[in-house]
Amino acid sequence: MRNRKLLWLFLLPGLLLYLAIFMYPTVTGLFYSFTNWDGVSPSYHLVGLDNYKDTLTSIVFRKALFNNVKFMIAVVLAQTAVSLGLALLLVKNHRIHVVLRALFFFPAVLSSVSVGLIWSFVYDPSLGLINAALDRLGADAWMQNWTGSTHIALYAIAFVQVWAHAGQMMIVFIAGLQTIPEELNEAARIDGAGRWQIFRRITWPLLAPSATIVVAYTTIQSFKAFDLIFTMTDGGPNYATEILTTYIYHTAFASYAFGPASAGSVIFLIVLSVLTALQFRLLRGNRIAYS
Amino acid sequence: MKQIKFRAALLILSVLIVSVLSACGSSNANKSNTASAGSDAGNKPSGDPVTISFIHWRGEDVEALNGIIQKFEAANPGINVEMQTMPSEQYQSTAQAKLADASVGDVFTSFPGAQFGALAKAGVFADLSGESFLSNYNPALIEAGKQDGKQLAVPYQLVYNDPIYNVKLFEKYGLTTPKDWDGFLALCEKLKSEGIIPIAFAGADIGPGQLMNSMVMNNEPSTDIFTKVEAGEAKLTDPFWVKTLSQFKELNDKGYLQKDALGTKDAAAGALFIQEKAAILASGSFQLAQNKKQNPNLEQQLLAPITVAADQAKYEGIHTTTFMLAVNSKSKHPKEAKKFIAFLSGKDIAGEYANATGQNVTVKDVQYTTPELQVATAWASKKTLFQPRFTITNADNQKAVTNSIQAVLSGKSPEDAAKEAQAIVDQHLTK
Repeated sequence: MRNRKLLWLFLLPGLLLYLAIFMYPTVTGLFYSFTNWDGVSPSYHLVGLDNYKDTLTSIVFRKALFNNVKFMIAVVLAQTAVSLGLALLLVKNHRIHVVLRALFFFPAVLSSVSVGLIWSFVYDPSLGLINAALDRLGADAWMQNWTGSTHIALYAIAFVQVWAHAGQMMIVFIAGLQTIPEELNEAARIDGAGRWQIFRRITWPLLAPSATIVVAYTTIQSFKAFDLIFTMTDGGPNYATEILTTYIYHTAFASYAFGPASAGSVIFLIVLSVLTALQFRLLRGNRIAYS
Repeated sequence: MKQIKFRAALLILSVLIVSVLSACGSSNANKSNTASAGSDAGNKPSGDPVTISFIHWRGEDVEALNGIIQKFEAANPGINVEMQTMPSEQYQSTAQAKLADASVGDVFTSFPGAQFGALAKAGVFADLSGESFLSNYNPALIEAGKQDGKQLAVPYQLVYNDPIYNVKLFEKYGLTTPKDWDGFLALCEKLKSEGIIPIAFAGADIGPGQLMNSMVMNNEPSTDIFTKVEAGEAKLTDPFWVKTLSQFKELNDKGYLQKDALGTKDAAAGALFIQEKAAILASGSFQLAQNKKQNPNLEQQLLAPITVAADQAKYEGIHTTTFMLAVNSKSKHPKEAKKFIAFLSGKDIAGEYANATGQNVTVKDVQYTTPELQVATAWASKKTLFQPRFTITNADNQKAVTNSIQAVLSGKSPEDAAKEAQAIVDQHLTK
């Protein structure tokens, strides 16, 4: 009984912080989503579900949602594949592997605003490094208007997102790989299994918990992306990279429409929660254990 | 024993919570004491210093303004000015909330257009009508700070949002500023044939929002065409905007904008001009001083494309008045705040600000010391239109308009791009 009281006592500061920093804004945001508040005026009126109706029928919101889904799929597929590949290559604890791991992890410690600004220069069509390198290599047919093309701008940013976070996810996969007993691989090799078979039958199934974390985390992270897109394209050109977070930001702080922006945030939260729950449900079924 | 320990822990926690809360309370109390002392400025005993907060988004002006603030404080003992700047994006998002609760910004600045409208609606502006310092300004240039006959803010900076051209390059190729659209196209063709990029265009950020103004000014020579669009009385699918988009497309298709203009940001487009690879920079007079700083050999002038026949051209260029100085209606020190604006409005101080920052001002009879600032002086006598983009008060509509330019540069037909933009405007009409 005493322990339980003490437990609550120690939980209290954290709980208060959580209530103040997360729950209070969430609840007030929910409230404002039913108002016409502009974010500045002292007064506002309740407008019922109008903001939700307007948001769901908004052309820009729909474009943003569609872009969000495209961005998320591209990032989840690429980031999972790249981080798994890196983890398989660098799982051993040789000195060179440790150094390479640190190098690949390095972008994760940079602020995403800096990453966005740096890559804006790298992608610049006339002064940027990529086009300059392609030109010098004689591959000028590959030169692109990376962030200025409505067809590829979103994927160019998705590449940067993967570049920035694949190292982090690599660490999760390495941790998962290091829990797989070497005896299992050895036994499989003795039985004549090749590398691909070992990966398919042993490594991948046993990595399922790590994969679940990586996929779920990457989904949330890519769905919530903001800084990179904001600094690199601000949703352009012609809404080609507008996603829900930039839509909400523009609605709240450029259009001074906090009510509709709050409605957008609530819809965003619902979509993200459903997506995450679905993923956990789908990926949980893949787990197996060898004994 | 255990009971005692638990009670002791509870007591310590309570003390901690009470301490934290009382610290907050005392901090608020101090603030309110200061505030009440200041609010009663007229009755307070002499020697009690008053601190006013001045917030704005121009970090690049801090050095110049620090010098001016020092002079103000010396001339007004007992008034201190605490200046705080934040990047313009952050200013849009953070400052408005702070202004609403008057936690900062006894004196603050506002953009014209959507932000001015929102802050006015929220009652954040103190009425400056009738203040004697207003007579220092060119009356036509502070109109943007008026609403319902009240002078709510005073635009301090004067900008000509017209493309900048490289005078020496023009002279080298025997080019003069064209008077009509055909002449403008011929000029671009000549530059292109000489291996010079005719127009450096920052299509990724500021370019569409700047060049659209002079491109549309004679296609629809009206001060309120976008007001009508937002009211549903005109449409972006009307000939004036479709023609403007077609002309943007023509410039792009003929290669008069640099390659991949939509991927080019402000700094990169500026670099093409500064390095003299491009003859025209689709920007505005606000960029003149910066260009000169980076290439002292540059000789620059302004040139607005005339998109119609010479005899149909009503306007010669575009102007904007911005960096609008205002007093917070909830300020505890309104007298001191107005004193500070009055000080900034003085001819000599405004001149000091202009010459140190490279920005023209709306104050009358200011002496400009650099050729770049004198460029704008010459434009004061021309027939210019207030920036049409800033007459669009809804930011979504503003974005729809500039995005339709990006759409045609991406390959969409002007008609389709206009239709898409109008669809977004229509959604706001029904709200």
